Amino acid sequence: MKINLNGEIVFASTGGRNFELKGEPIWFIHGSGQSHLSFMLQGRFFANRGWSVIAADMPSHGLSSGVPLDTIEAMSDWHIALMDSLGVEKVQIVGHSQGGLIGLDLAHRYTDRVSRLSLVATALSIPVNDNLIDMAKNKEPAAIKAMIDWGHGSEGHSHDHTMPGQNHLNYGVQMMAANKSGALHADLKACVNYDNGQSAAAMITCPTQLIIGQQDKMTPLKFGLKAAEALKTVNVTIVENAGHMLPSEHPEEVNRALRPFFTKS
Amino acid sequence: MTGDYKFNTLSLHAGFTPDERHGSAAVPIHQTTSYVFKDTEHAAALYNLEVGGHLYSRISNPTVAVLEQRVAALDCGIGAVATSSGMAALFVTVLALCSAGDHIVSSSQMYGANINLFQHTLSRYGIETTFVAPNDPNAFAAAIQPNTKMVFGEVIGNPGLDIMDITVIGKIANDAGVPLVIDATFNTPYLLKPIQNGANIVIHSLTKWMGGHGIALGGIVVDGGNFDWGQNNRFPTLTESHFGFQGVNLYEEFGPAAFITRVRTEGMYNVGPCLSPTNAFHLIQGIETLGLRMERHMSNTKKMLDFLLHHEGISWVKHPTLPDHPDYEVAKRLMPKGAGSVIACGVKGGREAGQAFIENVKVASHLANVGDAKTLVIHPGSTTQSHLSPAAMKSAGLTDDMLRISVGLEDFEDLQADFEQALRSAAKI
Ligand SMILES: Cc1ncc(COP(=O)(O)O)c(C=O)c1O
Repeated sequence: MKINLNGEIVFASTGGRNFELKGEPIWFIHGSGQSHLSFMLQGRFFANRGWSVIAADMPSHGLSSGVPLDTIEAMSDWHIALMDSLGVEKVQIVGHSQGGLIGLDLAHRYTDRVSRLSLVATALSIPVNDNLIDMAKNKEPAAIKAMIDWGHGSEGHSHDHTMPGQNHLNYGVQMMAANKSGALHADLKACVNYDNGQSAAAMITCPTQLIIGQQDKMTPLKFGLKAAEALKTVNVTIVENAGHMLPSEHPEEVNRALRPFFTKS
Repeated sequence: MTGDYKFNTLSLHAGFTPDERHGSAAVPIHQTTSYVFKDTEHAAALYNLEVGGHLYSRISNPTVAVLEQRVAALDCGIGAVATSSGMAALFVTVLALCSAGDHIVSSSQMYGANINLFQHTLSRYGIETTFVAPNDPNAFAAAIQPNTKMVFGEVIGNPGLDIMDITVIGKIANDAGVPLVIDATFNTPYLLKPIQNGANIVIHSLTKWMGGHGIALGGIVVDGGNFDWGQNNRFPTLTESHFGFQGVNLYEEFGPAAFITRVRTEGMYNVGPCLSPTNAFHLIQGIETLGLRMERHMSNTKKMLDFLLHHEGISWVKHPTLPDHPDYEVAKRLMPKGAGSVIACGVKGGREAGQAFIENVKVASHLANVGDAKTLVIHPGSTTQSHLSPAAMKSAGLTDDMLRISVGLEDFEDLQADFEQALRSAAKI
């Protein structure tokens, strides 16, 4: 659905079902240079099982207009503004990669708006190498290709797919290329500049969960495990043979881990 | 695992993971119509497109999916749907984009059935086509109308061998907000990947070079995912509520996969020209050696051209790699590895000499196909076009002395000897 937020258009996928506010919505937050499409198979799965689902495109991503936000905190504030405009008081967050950093910040600074936090392929900080940031600025298509290449595990690179006939790597490239130019660079800078993850994690009190890809090269397993330690969570799922793009590469394992974590009204 | 695998590796491996239970190294033939659901929730999830998997082989099948994933990888697509023939691939593509009152701009020099579909079949359903010369980009620009839903053509035209400059025409189409759909049967992804060179959707008759063995018909639609269907209001089949899946908006929900999802959920579901699992298996065996075969097709084509150009029984030779071909420069730029293995040439002595040649070849087969591993020859003047007068043939871009040769993989010395003796017989007429 399309929402007008401060004069800009925000697109939010509702999992293919009309949005109806029931209980605390599952609130998906996409990663750097991604969009609502990275959660397609999660959104549809939960919406078809009676949850209210929102997977919003942040400004300049997917089908949303506006200029890209440049700090994790600004992104959190934007999500709160979107919740306000939809009359949503509290959400159950699923954050992928950079979306996980936003989730940490939201759960820490807006304790009364977040009831549960699931972190998928993320860490307490995401140091991005200078080369990639530079490419994102000056050679965006090359940066996209590198991220898609590094982001996928063995399934993506074998060109096999759970959805018959589809291709992870080429889809990933086109999905990222459909964002407005500059969005990826702003995201990567925001990730690099966020260094509050450790202290945020120490103060988060809501139930948390981690889903980590064993072959993740972008937010490697050991950093995911460190985040679990800082959050004192025992709810950790390690998905074998999975890379960073877990939600699309291993949707069934991700959905299986997410489902018992959420509450339903 | 850094960087994508290269062409031959993809041809052999892409899209297939050996199953855990048996570890079959070859792609198994899943000769089944249906799939046992785990439970009712799983069944509902499959129908709702919430999880991947198969429910009925008209819509998808595990063996066919390997073929689709392999060709999508080779052609740089975000996904593909395989069909029972190349013609079916074109039809489901049109079906996904066009409705009554819509319009297509197409090359005028194409495989006869492609032309017939547009001219005689789609026109009965209110879809009109403007045909333009494939090598006249300005004509494409001029023909695009507000209701145009696709620009279409063959990179290497069958049988005239005109070359369509897809980089230039792709830009013209995309600037006008229309996708470029390419029939890439004659080039295969080995010679040119249209999606990386200006096209948005690629279709193949897999029956030809992709399979290469001449034992299985098949087709495929590959979606580049590189066209923004929401940029204008031209594509309601993709950007407005779909009849299935709770009225989902395919463009919003599936992004770059909107088009190929419509092909599967409408073309396969409502029409049903699905590929049989056994044919998919045969086509996969062919694709495994596509790179090797195309190299050999190209080297034998070069030798054949050289032979024909110097043979006194041949009056003219047409191939896009010959400097006197009007599209020589475009062909060289688009397809530096070669411009296909079909050659047109004229036999001295006209229609009767052509007929005599065809009846005397022994290694080459006389039949109505192209792209087989074996060399194929046909004389349109005495077969497919025998009902036409010389004047009518001329206006169709054909002459009555014309032979079409699809150069195969035989030892060239044997082909040469065979052609020598058949041309000697033709000269006696
Ligand atoms: C260029 C071209 N496109 C499409 C087709 C149709 O393919 P099929 O016979 O697999 O339906 C052919 C068949 O000759 C062809 O040459």
